[in-house]
This record gives sequence, C-alpha cells and structure tokens, in this order.
Amino acid sequence: MNNKKKLLWIAAIFAAALILPLIIGEFWVHIAIQILIMGLFATSFNMIFGYMGQLSFGHAAYFGIGAYATGLLIVKASIPLHFSLAASMIVAGLSAVVFGYFCVRLTGIYFAILTLAFGQLIFYIVFQWYSFTGGDDGLQGVVPPDFLFSAYSYYYFTLIIVTAALIVMWMIGESPFGYTMRSIRDNDSRTRFLGINVRAYMHVNFIIASMFAGLAGGLFGPFNRSIAPDLLSWHHSGIPVFMAVIGGSRSFFGPFLGCIIYTFLMAFITGFTQYWPLVIGTIIILVVLFAPGGILGILESRIKALLSWKGIDEIGKKTDDESY
Amino acid sequence: MKKFKFMPFLFLFIFLVEGMTGLNCGKKDDTYNMGVILSITGAGSIYSKDGVDALELAVAEINAKGGFLGKHQIKLIIRDDQTKPDVAVTVAKDLILRDKVKVIQGTYSSACAEAIKPIARENKVLHIAAISNSENITKVNFSPYTFQVVPNSYMQAQAVVLGVGALAKKNNWKEYVTIASNYEWGRSTQNNTVALLKKSAPNLVLKKEFWPKLGETQFTTYITAIMAQKPDFVIGSIASQDNASWMKQAGDFGFFKKIPYPGSLISVTELILQAKTIDRGTVGLCRAPFFAHMDNPIMAAFVNSFKTKYGRYPSDWAVMEYDAVYALKQAVEKANSIDTEKVREAMTGATIETTRGKLTFRTIDNQLSCSSYIGIVADDPKYPFPIYKDIVEVKGPDSWRPEQEIVDARKTEKK
Amino acid sequence: MDISLIIAQFMSGISHGMMLFLIAAGLSLIFGVMNILNFAHASLWLVGAYLSYTFWYILQDYSIAMWLSIVLTTLSMGVIGMIIEIVLIRRIYNRDLSEQLLLTYGLILVIGDGIKIIWGVDNKLIPRPEIVATPIDFFGIPFDSYFIFVILTGLSVTFFLWWFLKKTRYGHIIRAAVYSREMVSALGIPIPRIYTGVFAMGIAIAGLAGAIQAPIGSITLGMDMSVVVQAFCVVVIGGFGSLLGTFVGALIVGEVYAFSILLWPQGALIFIFLVTAFILIVRPWGLFGTPMRK
Repeated sequence: MNNKKKLLWIAAIFAAALILPLIIGEFWVHIAIQILIMGLFATSFNMIFGYMGQLSFGHAAYFGIGAYATGLLIVKASIPLHFSLAASMIVAGLSAVVFGYFCVRLTGIYFAILTLAFGQLIFYIVFQWYSFTGGDDGLQGVVPPDFLFSAYSYYYFTLIIVTAALIVMWMIGESPFGYTMRSIRDNDSRTRFLGINVRAYMHVNFIIASMFAGLAGGLFGPFNRSIAPDLLSWHHSGIPVFMAVIGGSRSFFGPFLGCIIYTFLMAFITGFTQYWPLVIGTIIILVVLFAPGGILGILESRIKALLSWKGIDEIGKKTDDESY
Repeated sequence: MKKFKFMPFLFLFIFLVEGMTGLNCGKKDDTYNMGVILSITGAGSIYSKDGVDALELAVAEINAKGGFLGKHQIKLIIRDDQTKPDVAVTVAKDLILRDKVKVIQGTYSSACAEAIKPIARENKVLHIAAISNSENITKVNFSPYTFQVVPNSYMQAQAVVLGVGALAKKNNWKEYVTIASNYEWGRSTQNNTVALLKKSAPNLVLKKEFWPKLGETQFTTYITAIMAQKPDFVIGSIASQDNASWMKQAGDFGFFKKIPYPGSLISVTELILQAKTIDRGTVGLCRAPFFAHMDNPIMAAFVNSFKTKYGRYPSDWAVMEYDAVYALKQAVEKANSIDTEKVREAMTGATIETTRGKLTFRTIDNQLSCSSYIGIVADDPKYPFPIYKDIVEVKGPDSWRPEQEIVDARKTEKK
Repeated sequence: MDISLIIAQFMSGISHGMMLFLIAAGLSLIFGVMNILNFAHASLWLVGAYLSYTFWYILQDYSIAMWLSIVLTTLSMGVIGMIIEIVLIRRIYNRDLSEQLLLTYGLILVIGDGIKIIWGVDNKLIPRPEIVATPIDFFGIPFDSYFIFVILTGLSVTFFLWWFLKKTRYGHIIRAAVYSREMVSALGIPIPRIYTGVFAMGIAIAGLAGAIQAPIGSITLGMDMSVVVQAFCVVVIGGFGSLLGTFVGALIVGEVYAFSILLWPQGALIFIFLVTAFILIVRPWGLFGTPMRK
C-alpha cells in the first residue's frame, strides 16, 4: 500500500466533508458536527483501548472536564473559544497526569474499575460543586463567538480542528512511541526487558488520549449551548467503548466509523421511536455475540475473500501494518 | 491491505448523503406542528404523563373545531427528554429542524427548560413552560420566545413564606431545616424561600440544608439525619417521583408526626397518590388545583372532559399544560396568523382566558399572572381523595418579583 | 448531637449497607466464580422489584401477599438468571473484558426499556403489612421497623451463602472452580452447569434484594443506575469473590454514606469513590480478596 494512494483517499474524504453541508439540510449538519466531535472522542479513547490494550470505563470524565473548562471560561471569563479549547486540553491533560498516574499501575479489570471509580469521583465533584459548575443544572449560556454561531460555520470550524487532531493522533500512532505502545499491549514484560519504562509510556499515552478527549468536550459545549454533568457519568463512558468495538478497535479509523454508525442510527431511530436504548442495546448485544471484530473487521474480511477469489496476489502476504 | 479500509467509508458516505437529502424534504402544508418535550421517562414521569394527557385533550378539542383559526390542524409531536438537559437539547433541535415545529411545550425539569431556551430563541420557535417553574427561566438570559404559564419559584416561595410565617409566629418556632432536590427548581425554590423568610421572620434560624440528588430513591439516611437536627419544622422542595418516595419513607418513619412539614409541594398528584396515607391538617402548597376554580366554567368543562376521557381528575400539571395550549390559541387568534413572529408579538403582554380565570403575561419576563395556592389538607365528600380547605390564593401580581429587581439582575449579566 | 442520634444514623447506615450487600453479594459471587463482571446486575435487581410488585398486585387480597411476593420473585429471578446465562453469558466466557462489559452494558439498556414497556413509567408502591408498617422506638428515636426485617434478611443470606459454600458438596465444587477451572473439569464435573447454577443463584439474590427494596420507597425507572456503581464499590472494597469482604465492604459503604449525609451531605458519594479508588490503588484485590488468577 503506497502512501500516495492513502493520502489521495484522505484528501477525497476531506473534500467530501467540505461539500457535505451544501447537500444536506441543517438538521444533518448538526448531526455531522456531532459525528465529528464524538468521532474525535472515540478515536482518543482508542489510543488507550486499541493501542495500549486497556479498557477505560471513565473516559467521559476527561471529555466532561474539557467541556466544563471551555464552558466556564466562556461563561465566567469571556475567553475566546480558541484559547478555551487549548485550556480544555491542558486541564484534561493535567487531571490525567494525576489520575492516570494511579490507573496505569493496574491492568485489565482493575484498570477498568479504577478508571470507572475516578470517572464517578470527578462526576460527583462536578455534580456537587454547585457554585462553580452549576451542579445538576449544568452550565447555561455557553455560546460560541458570533462568526461561529450558525451550524454551518461551526461545522467547518469543527471539521478543521478534528481533522488536525486526527492527523496528530495518527502521527503519534505511527511514531516509535506508537509502536512502543503496541508492543506494551502485546507483551508488556518483554517490552520492559528491552529497558523501556512501561508505566511512564502508558502514563504519557493516557495523558495524550485524555487531552484529545478534553478537546472533543471543549468543542461539544458551544455546539450544545449548555453543558450537563451527565456528560461525565459512566453511561457516557460506555459510548466510545461501543463505537470502538462496533467499528473495530484494531484500526485507526474504526472508532470513527463506529461513531458514524452510532450517531446516524440514533438520529434515524429516535425520529420514530422513543425506544432508542432498546434498539441500541440489542445492536450492542448482537455485535458482541456475532461480530466481535466490528463492522470494519467484517467488511474487510469480506472484501479480502472477494479479492482473493479474483486472485489478486497482494492479499496473500501479511504486511506489518495490517496488524496495526 | 490498507487501501480497502476506505471503501466502507465511501459506501457509507453515499448512503448517508442519500438518506439525509431524502429525509430532509420537509412537507409544506397548513398543519401547525406542536412539539412537546416532557420527561416521559425519568424523574418527572408522573407529572409529565398528566401533562401529555391534557395536551392531547386540548389539541383534540381544537382540531375538532378545525384547528387554529379553523383551518390549521395541530399535529402534536411528543418527545422524551429523560429529565436530562443534554437530551432535551438534542430533542429540541430534532423537533425544530426536522419536524419543523413552531412551538415547544415543555419541559418537566427547569434545568431542561433553561437548556432548550437558547435553542428555541436562535431558531425563532416559541417555548411555553407549563411545569418547569424556576424563575431563572424568565428572569435572566431573557428570551422573548419563552413564556411561563406556571407560578414561578419566586411566586411559590412568597406563598410559602406567607403560610409558614403565620404558623411560625403562632407556634413560636425558631429553628428549621430544608430538604430540596439538588437541581435548578429545588435550588431556586429553597433559596427564594430562605431569603424571603429571613426578611419576613428574621428570628428564624436555618440549621442545615439537605440536597438529595434529583432522582433519589433512598431517603432513609436523610430522614434520620434531619431528625437528628431536632428542628421545629422542615421545609421541603421535592417534586414528582422523588416526592412520592420521600413522603412515603418519611411517613413510614413517623417523621411527619414528629416534625411539622408546612408549605411543601403537595400537588393534586400527591393528594391522589397518597389519598390514604397523607396526614390531614398538613399545610401544603400547590400550583394549579382544579378544585379552587370549579366555579369557573372553563375549569368545570375541562375537569369534566378530562374525567370522561381518562377516568381521573386532572392534576396541577394537566391544568397548566391545558392552559398552555389555549394561551397559544388565543395568541394565534389575536394575531390572526400562525406565523411565529406575529404570534409571539400577540402573546407578549396578552390577557387570556384560562381555567384559572383571566390572566395576563407580564411584558418584562413573559410570566403569566397566575396564583399560588396554600391550604390545609382535608377530606371532602365530593372527591375520593383529600383536597385543600381554607385555600389562600396568592395572586400573581401580589407575589411576583418586582420589575426593578429583574432589571437589576439582568444588568449584571454580561452581554 | 447526642449519642442516641449517632446510634440512629449508625442504624440507618447498617440498613443501607444491608441493601447494598444483598445487591453486591450476587455480583461478587458471579465475578469470583465465573470471572464475569455483570454491569446489568442492578438492572436485574430492579426487574426483581417490579416483578414483586406484579406478584403483590395479583395476591393483594391475601394478608401475606408481600411476603409471598418476595419468595416468588426470588425463585423467578433465579429462572430468569438461568435463561440469561444459557442464552447470552455462556457465549462470552472466553471473550475480552471489553466485550463482556459491553454485552452486559447492552443488557442494561434493553432491560431498562423492557421494564418501561412491561410496567410503564408510573412508579409503583407496595403498601406494607401492619407488622412492618409502624416505626418502632429505638433509643428514643423512631426507627422504621421494616429495616429490622431487611437487616435480618441480609444476615440470613450471609449465613446461607457461608453454609452453602463451606459445608455443601456444590459449595466445595464452586470454590474449587474459583481456583482451577481445568482441574474441576478434569474431575468430570460439568463446568457449564456449575456456572449456570452460580449465575442463577446470583441473580436470584439480586431478585430477593429487589423484592425487599420495593416496599421501602417507590419503585421507579432508572433506580438501578446509581446503585450499580455503588455495588461495584462494595465489591471492590471487600475484594472480588469474597463473601466476608462483600459483607464488610457493604457495611463500610453504608456507614460512610450515612455519616457523610449527617456531617457533609454534599460529599457523601465523593467519599465512597475516594475510598474505592484508594483501596484499588493500594490493594487492588480488596480487603479480603486474594490476588486473582490471570
């Protein structure tokens, strides 16, 4: 697979994303913004889940911290949005410095539960700190600057930031650091024998992932015009898990694809039934039972089979980048 | 292998664009789309159910006569916000942009009302709050599109203070404790009550505040903790599901027998649900009890048709949602148009006929001049549940926040 | 604040803890034996509460309706647990943690809406029989007499589980399976059947807890959401798979909750998560657990 072709594809998708709002109605522009933001969130989650091999069930906390950082700066201090977004990343990153320090000392189920416990801890602090965060009412009046007020301009703003963030995350994934993460995922004791400080690497990765989750949260507040503490709670942490699993956690774009599927389904299904949780719950169960590799995994193996039948010999050899 | 990873994206993209452009074609006709956002599930479902029933009744009545202005049939689109502000925002956008509603009736939770207020305003859609009553909905961040047909938390607090102040003087009470749901309405009601009590009865001491979360189901620890404070009385601001749990658990502890609990929300819903167990003689507060206005023919007719259709008496929430639809109807008739801008202008400052009598929207905050009601819970042979006796109707204009204070509050807002 | 008030708050902490213990006991048992973390445990607890309402509703003319509904709920939840194990859980024994969690997460959503469809959105009340309806006097403070029953039930379930695991043949097999699935299976004992039984028992206890919860306040949708995380905390503090640990963990959480409500109401849940995180960091396997097999 040559890089030129890959770039061409990315450019094509980006171009398509640019003209998208011209074709679709305003409601779907809102959905598209949501896809971009949640896609960034899911991709950042996958830095921990896919690259590092640990399941975080508290990732929404960093999303929420980012959202509150931007929201509070806009509401209380009238700081311009781009500075607030940077602040979101920093605040989310700093909290990850503290909480991540403890989390990366555990693995497997303990990692999942500790991230869950910290997530709930942060949730309840935000929830109870009424004078500062607005408690259960959330934060009102989180309004973007005038030039980003319409859904269309906010879409392009989000598109640029999310694209830039995805490129940075992709570069991190392809860097020596990213490959070290993979080797920690696959065999951490062997990686340790190579003289690598596994915990430090995991901690850094956790911080980076949380920063991007914070950025996604920062984008979400002004889009939604208000912020509710529910964004931090553990059910919200389940969403990126599902996106990553349905899209496929072993590829960079898998979670994003999962996000598109999830958000689109939600917009479609909530239009005619109030039983959205029932539908998505059933889908989650079916995907886990019958499509463990995610949608991308299935499509890929189908296409693979199709191509091998056609006899394209490229299929036979397993390249390094395939397994990530 | 990698190049094929983008294939599904391409397919999906085509699929999405087709789906969206296809779905997006709005129908243009004379129908008036009315969106409803209530807490169909979640903490406010008992109140919301009555609200939805009343809305459906009102819309059916109007449609039977041809709809608004005799030609615009009303289409009611009901959505659930699960009592979560972020869900309410998503649902509001969906109703406005996809279903093209001209008005949103709702919500249960005041936090949800505040969250959808800017959305309605930006999209120039009317928003009528008939259950959520935090005064902040109309006091600050004012939106000319948002109207309130329920006595707000300040007005209710005034009524409580009136009732409690008299009782405190009579019984020589000194110390009290509050328990309020930890969200917009509970906060706002508690703050206003405490502030107004301080003004009217400065020697009363607030010993402690308890803030159970919205949706709390286990009040045991709160109950013992309150009793440990040994207050002279307790003021509660808890609503709906939570109120039912709280009153049952506190009752089982013998709480109300030991500590007076005056002036807390006991709406018709609570009177019906706890018909057997509620302590007679409790001083309660409610927002729109039908039995206070049975002499008004509009109310009598409404109670009759509600009873015929649903086989039960309408609660405060049903009364107010019913009024919300008829407020809109009268504004549409005054404007002689269903155009939102014209209707909004017509509704601003309008005087309307409601089940609760002739009432007026105050121009400064779009608050309807409706009354709060306090009374003593007592049995009545006419009804299968207790009602209020010795009702004191605290009129809207006597209890709402002075205009000057609203102007001052808005001054401190940043523009 | 005098001593009798502290005792009253202590008792209310015990009652809260006992309810948590009944919910967490099944969670801990299932995790300890089967290594599956069941997110949907509290949702099944809520199903138990609603189911007991239905049984009570059918039987309400009889004076023992409430007591009978508790028994019937426990039994039927056992059957439901068995079905869930056979249809769903059995297929994910050897899957990744993420998929196990996701499946039970999906189950929460399905059960939540299922309850809405079957029982509607109104909350349900079960009036109590006379004997547990009036408060009793406890050191001068009224105490809800129903909680005496809750505490006694919690103690009996603890005793029953202890007896079952320590003294019966099945208990021995289950405890052996915790240490080595392969060894037990090599002895010719059908592991899947043991697992089905354990899961059914765990869910039956959750159902019992739900049925006991029902007459306390009112039964409402979404009650499970905050409870499930508290139950997790109990299990984490006590140690996965340890009965004694779960018991102690539940009492700790109950008391921390009760006393923070008295002293600093806002901090109640924050304290619980702080304790949980602290235990996880210094002793991931909990107070009474043993480091887990891989």
